[in-house]
Amino acid sequence: MHIPDGFIPISQCLIYYVILIVALYFSVKWARNNLDEKRIPLLAVLAAGIFAIMSMNMPIPFGTSGHMVGGALVAIVFLAPEAAVLVFTVVLLIQALIFGDGGITALGANVLNMAIIGGSVGLYTFKGLQGMIGKYAAAGIGAWLATVIAALACAIEMGIAGTFPMNIGIPSMVLYHVFIGIIEAVLTVIVLVALDKFRPDLLAWNKEDVNEGDA
Amino acid sequence: MADITQIIRFDDLASQDSPIHNLEGRIKLISTIFIIVTCVVSNEIFMPIILEVFLLIILKIAKLSYKDSFKRLLMLLPFGGAVIIFQPFIQPGNVIWSYSWLNITDVGLNWAILLLVRLIVTLTAVIIYSSTTPLQEMASSFRKLKMPRDLAMILSIMVRFLFLFVDELAAIRKSQKSRNFNIHSKNVPYKWRVKQVGYTVGMMFLKAYEQGERVHKSMISRGFSDTSEMFNEKKSPEKSDYIFLISIIILVIVLEIILFKFGGQLGYFGQNLSIN
Repeated sequence: MHIPDGFIPISQCLIYYVILIVALYFSVKWARNNLDEKRIPLLAVLAAGIFAIMSMNMPIPFGTSGHMVGGALVAIVFLAPEAAVLVFTVVLLIQALIFGDGGITALGANVLNMAIIGGSVGLYTFKGLQGMIGKYAAAGIGAWLATVIAALACAIEMGIAGTFPMNIGIPSMVLYHVFIGIIEAVLTVIVLVALDKFRPDLLAWNKEDVNEGDA
Repeated sequence: MADITQIIRFDDLASQDSPIHNLEGRIKLISTIFIIVTCVVSNEIFMPIILEVFLLIILKIAKLSYKDSFKRLLMLLPFGGAVIIFQPFIQPGNVIWSYSWLNITDVGLNWAILLLVRLIVTLTAVIIYSSTTPLQEMASSFRKLKMPRDLAMILSIMVRFLFLFVDELAAIRKSQKSRNFNIHSKNVPYKWRVKQVGYTVGMMFLKAYEQGERVHKSMISRGFSDTSEMFNEKKSPEKSDYIFLISIIILVIVLEIILFKFGGQLGYFGQNLSIN
């Protein structure tokens, strides 16, 4: 899902960069208000962890392999897509400059897909569904949908760029990520279950419960 | 996806000594981004191809192995390559070759060639940058270029911990392997394998979070507060750094002039191949 350099014309890259800068502005503000001074080491080390998580490839039936992105996971853990934006901006920046995975000019578009869209879709699907089907099922569906919608966004951006016609790009990207998304969903749920078991205090949803209980 | 364990090798490479390694961090970063942007805005293959030749010379000056760099390039091509390979068949234009329902158009083929050239040049630039710049130097370059404080700090600390997580991941993989765990093994149910990966991811996430908390405590005990600034080593670019950057800019300007004045005589190299 990492769009490389040269696939999106520079004028459109600039628009995605503007979106990135606005998102970063709000994310930094969110982090200052919600995570106090702990935010910097916390998000930094988490970003390093996400980097490691992203490099774990998992075989997927049908012969391909995929890896977890984790945008929905970070957003759900903090109950804020802003956390995903901060973490993924640095992760994608390093991936672009050191690994050549995703472009430097396409950084704005890549953060938009994986963190802004991925994180928001994951989080708000989770929020919307958790009352109906329970936390974990909601998180799973959220993570799955985040992957599919992020892929859809990627296909649309490539379509707008003229690099890949939408009538072919959308079905193929979406279909492929419908399967990749299952891995994302399962892994997201397992991580959340593990976190809830071993360090329930880390999950923002537990804190909200406490606050509501106090009130 | 890039294999994170390679990062140790990249950093080894980046710590060597050569005229390119010794350039100031910011200069290297700006030059790399400048070359990438120039490539992205080029609609003719003339400019990227000359830049590639230039980069291959830089590769030599940086004492990097052509073979290893080429291998890295090949590893990075698949995703972009997959998008490129379809281009000749899906873009509308004059059909130049067809076989039953399969048509290759001139517009599509040209566009595919342009994208491939752009991809190769931008990746070469990134490979040279990452092979000549240690991660810490990259992080400090961003700091010196006035990246917002919070983001710059997150980047600097993250870069420090990447190496730790490479080791953590290697340790987890080793212990799994010593128990005969194989993610591709068909002898155990798929569901069980997914679960194991899930536990590993969960473990990494927990370790990352708890490490983050420990780091925070140790930073506080050393006097860190919300108003702390990171230390920037005062090292200004030298004359040779400026010469390097300016020569790249001059090269691009000269190429642009050649393209503008003699574009017609360059034949295919001067032809606009872009569709957007």
